[in-house]
Amino acid sequence: MKKLFIIALIALTPLMAQVKGKIEVPYIAFPIKMGKGFDAVQANCLMCHSFGYIINQGRQSRKFWRGKIDKMIVHFKAPISDKDAKIIEDYLTEHYGNGK
Amino acid sequence: MKRRDFFKTAALTAGAAALGTSDLSAGETQQPIDNRKISDVAFPEKRPLITYSDRPPLLETPREVFTSALTPNDQFFVRWHMPDIPQYIDEKTFTINVNGMVKNVLKITLDQLKNDYEQVEVTAVLQCGGNSRSAFNPTAGGIQWGNGAMGCAHWKGVRLRDILDRAGLKKGAEWLAVSGSEKAAYYETPNFVRELHLDELDDHVIIAYQMNGEDLPYLNGFPVRLVIPGVYSDSWIKMLSNITVTDKYKHLFFMDHAYRVPDNDCECETPEKPFPKTKPIYRMNVKSLIGYPVNGGKLTHKSHSVVRGVAWDGGAGIKEVQISLDGGKTWDKAQLDDGSAGRYAYRTFRYSFKPMKLGKMSIMAKAINKLGEEQPFAKDVKWNHGGYKFNGIDEVKVEVV
Repeated sequence: MKKLFIIALIALTPLMAQVKGKIEVPYIAFPIKMGKGFDAVQANCLMCHSFGYIINQGRQSRKFWRGKIDKMIVHFKAPISDKDAKIIEDYLTEHYGNGK
Repeated sequence: MKRRDFFKTAALTAGAAALGTSDLSAGETQQPIDNRKISDVAFPEKRPLITYSDRPPLLETPREVFTSALTPNDQFFVRWHMPDIPQYIDEKTFTINVNGMVKNVLKITLDQLKNDYEQVEVTAVLQCGGNSRSAFNPTAGGIQWGNGAMGCAHWKGVRLRDILDRAGLKKGAEWLAVSGSEKAAYYETPNFVRELHLDELDDHVIIAYQMNGEDLPYLNGFPVRLVIPGVYSDSWIKMLSNITVTDKYKHLFFMDHAYRVPDNDCECETPEKPFPKTKPIYRMNVKSLIGYPVNGGKLTHKSHSVVRGVAWDGGAGIKEVQISLDGGKTWDKAQLDDGSAGRYAYRTFRYSFKPMKLGKMSIMAKAINKLGEEQPFAKDVKWNHGGYKFNGIDEVKVEVV
């Protein structure tokens, strides 16, 4: 019996993972600004990334934000309509713009 | 030029934006934003860290951790590109697939990786190319990292070269397309794939399954990641699951557009006149960071104080760290550790002095590597559109009381 117990222990050792079961990344409520066009931002941007990704870019120009939206459409293949793209551009420029 | 106010450190709440206006003239690089607040929320296997995003997770290590030669796993920074990260990896069924222009297609289990190959170890700094991006003015594109998008760990694994030898490269093989297990939200989105030229591979490039003597944390790429000492972390593929050997370079978004700097001597440009040709950020430049004291800290008048920090570069090795207590006018040598952790590791430094004058004071650190390259003053670091490779002389401001 004792021998069996030791064998069982040895067999188990390589299976000792640091993490057991699924990991879950917590949800963080980033303080995104509300305003005109926010619905389009929520509907299109949140599919791929948190609002943290937006607000932690710092204040940027309209050209920068438009470039980011185009990057999402052209390179990342985000299905954002032309209409929504313009609404998001205006929203970002108004709330996270640098005046340029 | 006006310097930032003395104790105007950007103490931001968890998840808050790195906003705030700069009073510097355009093009003047500054010290990166420092002393951001640590989040109240801990991510899996991590202590609470500075949190920029939860999906994908972006976590920064606070400054005070950088007095140690090795960065603890639970404080090690995190940066992913895609929103969908596997939440569970079965250690028994996970394989690293090697295919393409090879004689033997391999599916290497973790057990085989740990038992069928020579086991090697290396201590190496892992630093995001955008570390310290918030130093650039005007604001460069990307997450406005402070100084902590980096860490140094002792990695254990298997040489990539040994694995490729086992697979047997076919004639004409030149490139490796390496990818991990993270997935985009849309099927059409390009995966995060890095291409490495076979000439870039030396014996220090390993597939690591251990970090500081433990399993890799999930958020640092469990169960295996690529370790490329001396090179910025964008190529250190996490949750590495596939290596395809090819004869041709494939044009991919993450190779052709991301993580690139102007291909000129200063690696610089202006927002108005972007430089047309770019190159990968690749090898790290010489840099140092003060871990103690931190901005806004207090030192005791006439008491022995020891400044501590870390210095590193792209593998030439650190020759010297110098400290200035007078705003960069005069410099004095700091003591270095024995360097036994190797040329890819942090070289820790310490500098002992007695603050004799009450009030506010500045402490600066400057590293010089064995090639004679040294850090420029922060204000002299030239701008690039992605805000990459900032390596300005570090400065903390404290008060002697």
